[in-house]
Amino acid sequence: MNQPEILKPLKTWSHLASRRRKPSEYEIVSTNLHYTTDNPDAPFELDPNFAMARWFKQYRNASPLKHADWNAFRDPDEIVYRTYNMMQDGQETYLHGLFDQLSERGHDTMLERTWAGSLARLYTPSRYLFHSLQMASAYLCQMAPASTISNCAAYQAADSLRWLTHTAYRSKELSKTFGDIGLGTDERAYWEQDAAWQGFRELVEKALVAWDWGESFVAFSLVIRPAVEESVLRALGQSARHNGDTLLGMLTDAQLVDAQRHRRWAGALAKQCLETEGNREVMQQWIAKWEPLADAAVRAYCGVLPDAAGAGDAACKAGREFRQGLGL
Amino acid sequence: MALLERSEWYDIARATNWTPKYVTDSELFPDDMTGAKGVPMEKWEVYDEPYKTSYPEYVRIQREKDAGAYSVKAALERSQMFEDADPGWLSILKAHYGAIALGEYAAMSAEARMVRFGRAPGMRNMATFGMLDENRHAQLQLYFPHEHCKKDRQFDWAHKAYHSNEWGAIAARHTFDDLFMARSATDIAVMLTFAFETGFTNMQFLGLAADAAEAGDYTFSSLISSIQTDESRHAQIGGPALQVLISNGRKEEAQKLVDIAIARAWRIFGVLTGPAMDYYTPLTHRKQSFKEFMQEWIVGQFERSLIDLGLDLPWYWDQMVNEFDYQHHAYHLGVWFWRPTVWWNPAAGMTPDCRDWLEEKYPGWNDTFGKCWDVIIENLLAGKPELTVPETLPVVCNMSQLPICAVPGKGWNVKDHPLDYKGRTYHFNSEIDRWIFQQDPVRYRDHMTLVDRFLAGQIQPMNLMGALQYMSLAPGEIGDDAHKYAWVEQYRNNPYQRKAA
Repeated sequence: MNQPEILKPLKTWSHLASRRRKPSEYEIVSTNLHYTTDNPDAPFELDPNFAMARWFKQYRNASPLKHADWNAFRDPDEIVYRTYNMMQDGQETYLHGLFDQLSERGHDTMLERTWAGSLARLYTPSRYLFHSLQMASAYLCQMAPASTISNCAAYQAADSLRWLTHTAYRSKELSKTFGDIGLGTDERAYWEQDAAWQGFRELVEKALVAWDWGESFVAFSLVIRPAVEESVLRALGQSARHNGDTLLGMLTDAQLVDAQRHRRWAGALAKQCLETEGNREVMQQWIAKWEPLADAAVRAYCGVLPDAAGAGDAACKAGREFRQGLGL
Repeated sequence: MALLERSEWYDIARATNWTPKYVTDSELFPDDMTGAKGVPMEKWEVYDEPYKTSYPEYVRIQREKDAGAYSVKAALERSQMFEDADPGWLSILKAHYGAIALGEYAAMSAEARMVRFGRAPGMRNMATFGMLDENRHAQLQLYFPHEHCKKDRQFDWAHKAYHSNEWGAIAARHTFDDLFMARSATDIAVMLTFAFETGFTNMQFLGLAADAAEAGDYTFSSLISSIQTDESRHAQIGGPALQVLISNGRKEEAQKLVDIAIARAWRIFGVLTGPAMDYYTPLTHRKQSFKEFMQEWIVGQFERSLIDLGLDLPWYWDQMVNEFDYQHHAYHLGVWFWRPTVWWNPAAGMTPDCRDWLEEKYPGWNDTFGKCWDVIIENLLAGKPELTVPETLPVVCNMSQLPICAVPGKGWNVKDHPLDYKGRTYHFNSEIDRWIFQQDPVRYRDHMTLVDRFLAGQIQPMNLMGALQYMSLAPGEIGDDAHKYAWVEQYRNNPYQRKAA
């Protein structure tokens, strides 16, 4: 007698069934969804060594960042698609209410012309920076070794498009009050030429071609994003408040809510990485590689922000504190 | 002043190309991932997506859509759909979820590739929403079948199929990896969004939603309709990409991608949708035959969108249309015969009334496929069911990963289309499959079909039990006839008489 056992229906997916608790909606719809990690020698059901297969074998499977079970990763916020939309629709409703209300009150007409010039130089070109974050998160989304990581990256890419969209909106709106300072038209020139932006531009251009998924994660989530958030959101928002720009201060505060959420999952992933011997050194090397460029970018940008003495130091320090809080 | 109209600021939000300085353009957009076919960055900036949306609109509308789909599910949670539905319908659900849910998730990665490596800013933004859409479709199509897990082990395959070496899962992965998962951003725009989504899934989902309502499965109907509204938006990423390619002298390259994509999509449709429409769906619920459906949607509608874009019909168009008459009948026969190797219970769809319908829709069916079913019925009536299950493996196509098969009986036309390439002989179902291989052999060269693996000794023991283990299929989840052979009784002492013409 060698009859195989007859399988019985289970209460959940077979891969979750051994856990002795009811799976959450998050677990049901988010876990173990990448089939391309199943066979390390052939990511795709195609030739094991054509160009795209080599890309995934080199930059994902052979990453120096190692873990025996990437699929164990969980987003601490347990966000699923439908809760993401509920949450962000609420956030957008709040912000558009703010846009509407402050527009009614003639917010922009009360801004000083010199500040408007600062916005044209130091605020509206940020859409290029936000777009590079959008692209980087989309890269992590397609390269991450676990679907629970990819999902965080997908929502993060969308949040970056959200920030970009706010900037585009405000660029246009500000141009209605200040029509002759290149708002909505000169941002590319500022991004490509103005000294304030060249540190960030160099940082993201170089980091966008850091193809190893682990390095891309460490560079963007642990170094670059905090640098951007502490300067182009937080320090700019503070500068705005000192210049009567209530709206920009409230806008960057709202965007920082997204950033805090990003740091929660990035921190959880970093902690998971640190469970495996050898990863700390790998991550510290990457941080050591990207931190100087990020510091330089932050200082170049914050150095020209009006009424923001010490902002550069504070922003660099905040990035380090975030990493130190993770044990890095 | 109040809120600005979207049209006032939309162009600013999609002016995001810049000239890199600290790395080169070709480093930032490597050809393996971008696939721009030599069309430079600035030429892509005329890209204009016909369906425009923005972040705040997206999250609002999608929130509303999800509220609709999930509330229908909640309201019908205690309905008797599962108990009352025809077993053929449950088989359609199982096959669908297993073949689609993780494929949708793979499409999220493909959309993400367009976000990172697409050359047009509008494409990158639209693909960001497309990426979220595919995330949604994977989650919905995991959450909805999950409630059936406790009733039927085969529903586990909604999640499990893509992680297995079950033959249908291998075929699905090979197809979808080739259509999008392992393609560059530009190829994805053409092959996934234009050819596959505009051409096939969009209309498939419309048809499936109608079938679900007909079968009394209103949860699935509302789910699929809701997904279709997303598809019809992000499917429009491909059209303007094709326009950029064509207007920059890359029509030949674009045409080839479209031709490969349609051919690959047609095969996977033939094995999944063909049997579902012409056999699994109870006769009283059938609105049109699979052939009529293909004629209306692929020949009638998609043909027009190809021509409108300035593309030609694929070189194999007539041959493909000719296959509408038989290919899916051959696949159905194979799936039913090899039924222990699938994660659903194939419905034979073989009552005398069904056969009359098939003869009407496909004149000559009884003289060809019907002859095989006559033998199956004879063996079942004689109490020899062991003769209706396989002992051997079929010859599998090195492209579609499906058995090489065509018309049996009168009009026999089964033929291997072999190709010798660098010391290995490959086998193909048709000239079309062989042509795809020849376009880019390194992409397919060292892949092994399930049968190649069997012959190479990778599957042990070398019998059906070994094959089932390799496919992660065990008793309790392996397929059997959906209606437990009840239909066979209609033939006892009552051989099939063809209806007079």
